[in-house]
Amino acid sequence: MASYLVAVAIVALIYMLLTVGLNLQYGYTGLINFGHVAFFAIGAYASALLTLKGWPLAPAFVVGMVVAGLAAYPVGLLSLRLSDDYLAVVTLGFAETVRLVIQEEKWLTRGVQGLPGIPRIFQSLGVGGYAELATLVTLVACNVAAVALLVHLVRSPYGRLIQAIRDDEVAVQALGKDPARLKVQVFMLGAALAGLAGAFYAHFITYISPDQFLSLVTFYVWIAVIIGGPGRTSGAVVGSLILMIFIEGSRFARDLIPGVSEVQMASVRLAIVGLALILFTIYLPQGIMGKRKV
Amino acid sequence: MSFTDFVNLLINGTVEGLLIALPALALTLVMGIARFPNAATGDYMTISAFAAVGVQALLPKSIVLAALGAVAAGIAIAVVFHLWVFRALQGRPLVASLVASIGIAFLARSVLTFFVGHDQQGFQLPLVRAWNFDGIRVLPTDLIVAGVAVAAMAALFAILHLTPIGRQMRAVADNPDLGRASGIRVRRVLTVLWAMVGTLCALGGLLFGAKAIVTPEFGWELLIPAFAAMIVGGIGSPVGAVVGGVLLGIAQELSVPFVGPSYKIAVAFGLLLLVLLVRPRGLFGVATAAR
Amino acid sequence: MKSITRRDFVAAGAGLAAASAVPGLALAQTGDTFRIGSLCPVTGGGSSYGAGMQKAIELAVTEVNAAGGAGGRKLAVFAEDGQTKPEAAVLAAKKLIEVNKVQAILGTWSSGVTLAVMPLTDAASIIQMNTSGAPAISTQDTKDLVWRFQATNDAIGAAFAAAAEKRGFKTAATMAFNNASGIGNTEGFKKAWTKKGGKVVGSVVYEPNRPSYRTELQQVLAQKPDVIVMGSYLPDSTIILREWYQTGQDVKWILPGWAANPELVKALGNEVVEGVIAVDTVSNENAASYKNLDVQYRKAMGKPISSNVYAAMTYDMAISLALAMEAAGPNATPLQVNAKLREVSNAPGVMVYSFAEGKKLLAQKQKINYQGASSRLDFDQYGDVSPDFGIYVIEKGQLVRRDVISI
Repeated sequence: MASYLVAVAIVALIYMLLTVGLNLQYGYTGLINFGHVAFFAIGAYASALLTLKGWPLAPAFVVGMVVAGLAAYPVGLLSLRLSDDYLAVVTLGFAETVRLVIQEEKWLTRGVQGLPGIPRIFQSLGVGGYAELATLVTLVACNVAAVALLVHLVRSPYGRLIQAIRDDEVAVQALGKDPARLKVQVFMLGAALAGLAGAFYAHFITYISPDQFLSLVTFYVWIAVIIGGPGRTSGAVVGSLILMIFIEGSRFARDLIPGVSEVQMASVRLAIVGLALILFTIYLPQGIMGKRKV
Repeated sequence: MSFTDFVNLLINGTVEGLLIALPALALTLVMGIARFPNAATGDYMTISAFAAVGVQALLPKSIVLAALGAVAAGIAIAVVFHLWVFRALQGRPLVASLVASIGIAFLARSVLTFFVGHDQQGFQLPLVRAWNFDGIRVLPTDLIVAGVAVAAMAALFAILHLTPIGRQMRAVADNPDLGRASGIRVRRVLTVLWAMVGTLCALGGLLFGAKAIVTPEFGWELLIPAFAAMIVGGIGSPVGAVVGGVLLGIAQELSVPFVGPSYKIAVAFGLLLLVLLVRPRGLFGVATAAR
Repeated sequence: MKSITRRDFVAAGAGLAAASAVPGLALAQTGDTFRIGSLCPVTGGGSSYGAGMQKAIELAVTEVNAAGGAGGRKLAVFAEDGQTKPEAAVLAAKKLIEVNKVQAILGTWSSGVTLAVMPLTDAASIIQMNTSGAPAISTQDTKDLVWRFQATNDAIGAAFAAAAEKRGFKTAATMAFNNASGIGNTEGFKKAWTKKGGKVVGSVVYEPNRPSYRTELQQVLAQKPDVIVMGSYLPDSTIILREWYQTGQDVKWILPGWAANPELVKALGNEVVEGVIAVDTVSNENAASYKNLDVQYRKAMGKPISSNVYAAMTYDMAISLALAMEAAGPNATPLQVNAKLREVSNAPGVMVYSFAEGKKLLAQKQKINYQGASSRLDFDQYGDVSPDFGIYVIEKGQLVRRDVISI
């Protein structure tokens, strides 16, 4: 039982890293990134490919983060030239293109066949049991570090600048600061976090294939950001936990709703997500943890 | 690539582009007047197409009634969600309506699949063979698609620029308060707007279903190409939506001999990006201050 | 309007978290039940088969328990939905293994799910039975705990080649849906076809969910092949065949059975699909086990078992598992049961067609050879079966079986 909960917690924390990254990009600088899954995929594949070639995990994870962050650089530059809704479509297109590349470049990624047999985290501790507990602890540490880094950033002058960009970019420019560089850096940081999440994901599931990185993942992370409350790190934490409870909890809710077949449960899940999005945007736009408007 | 191949690819691209044109028209209308990207457009199409399937299930062989059923469903769903959701979000930033529209898309699709399931459906239409001009193939259905798309574009353009209600819509788009102050009944105008959106989505769903198949996912899958077409053509321009769609479709199909059928999707995005960097307001878009 | 406080939300969330931490299912008893996990694709890409697959397992378990159980134990089924997605399946498998303490996981359908779940079942030293096609499953099965009840992609491809050869085609082209199964099947075809001396004149891989495949089709038709072999699914097959018909070009088609089925006929009409050749694993239709299952399945699902070849496979999974348990004796561990699977399923031996029959003969210390509803169930060294294939032709809107071939 405990091992099952640990596994659920691991997946929840992977989503949390993704949400913290997206929240940084959108909540703090207002960048509308609909391509988040691309960096998730890049981190996953980079780390998986390296470890399958014999690399130890820790450096592979770091490379995964770095490659994801670097991949965000051109997209970050684009975000300077494009306004909100354009950026949304372009980032979505970027994510689809990344997925296509992963799918088509078989010589590198084995394409649609996927990569089986990816080494587990803490494999020396065996499978399940202690290994997963250790993975969980590492993930918690990473999340705490990411959150701490963000909180520190937010409180720092750098962070105030980031938030100022979201509120009034022209004023920031008037102060002589360059919002462009900051926006790009923030974008890359959020992407690096997604890359780290991807590395954890690949080594937890041990089999990755292109169809696990559809844009639906990006939408789920957005839901976590919106429900938790954009712009607040506690919102990212709460939002991803609620997302996880919802995704995994519906397995147990099956017994609570009689007369609904399994197949229909999938529709019920999606309906609840849709309804939640609508109701949250109308009645609780600042999310659960957000500041109430005065 | 022989000349025949080239022309056939051109035709393929044009037809696919015209399929995209109708949802692109719906998107551009909402973007132009209500100023947000409506991610529920695809699922409005899906619901309308399923309504047509439903009518044909009850009254087989009825094409006109099925089409009317689809249009009625499209108008109904568009207006209902406007009244419930989008009206409550007026004055809020664009992201709010975008996110809410994603919620509407999910909700509409899941209610549909809850009752109808995930199986593919199709319209009962007579079989046709393509006209073969020495290797160049043109399908009668394609001409119908082209006709409807162009007619819709012309009708939309005419309504927006030549009728009183269209003028009022554009006034409301520029400045709702001033519009209200000068006596425009904003509520009525917006309801008419969404009825038009619903009609366009229904037409798009009907054409798509006639050309391909009807599944619960097809509308959602069309969103990105439709957005791309709208942006390339210029937001708020009906002509742009159609031209943008056709341009992207042609670019996609013509690229297949060079990059293969999988990467052609990336080519469309590449073209979109190029247009955005070089001419951000799109081909026919009107330069507005905030962009 | 009463405003909802933040506290209410957090409290509700915490309550939900607590509720989902305590499973509503009864905790597994140990000792006198053998616990089977069912991880079928009830939702997602495999959803047309998943519910039937799960039901077939339950039917088998009921049958075994009615005959007095296996190896002195009753069987119990714990069902989870794999959702045809690796991440969801991994969590479901963990729940089955950790919470329900299952001793076997049956019914995974997509290769992605099976590949993701295999490391977990291997680590727990429990049995895994699937209906997936990917070759990697054989190579990753290092502990011989994984049993494949469906033909591999290569075998299906070879069946396509045999069907093409039988009809005297000389040149073939392929069109493959861009996923592991679609590509695996056409690659398997090309291998077998070129070995027979046939020529492959064109090959295209197409993306899912497109409204039109005219460009891809055009590329292939330009080579004027005798036959086009598809690794496809129903939606894309519908579009491609309709667009082909509109060109009026004469060419024959070989499709997998899950694409060329009555739904395809309904979507396109008799005229378009006339002469289309469908190849599919054929269940062991003459076997009494098949007939018996058909009766039960019709009662439970309202459809014949022929509508869901994977359900016949999952039924066989549970029955062969029970027979192996019986052969392994009372209180056998999953590993001990696993060791007996080939013994009760492979030739030589007295052919048996039901659990009760097999149990009786095992009590008399005879070597049995269970003939399943889905196939003869002779496992090779990888734990894969080689079922027979049926070659069907669509004539006047009906799928007529013309041949049965063994690979």
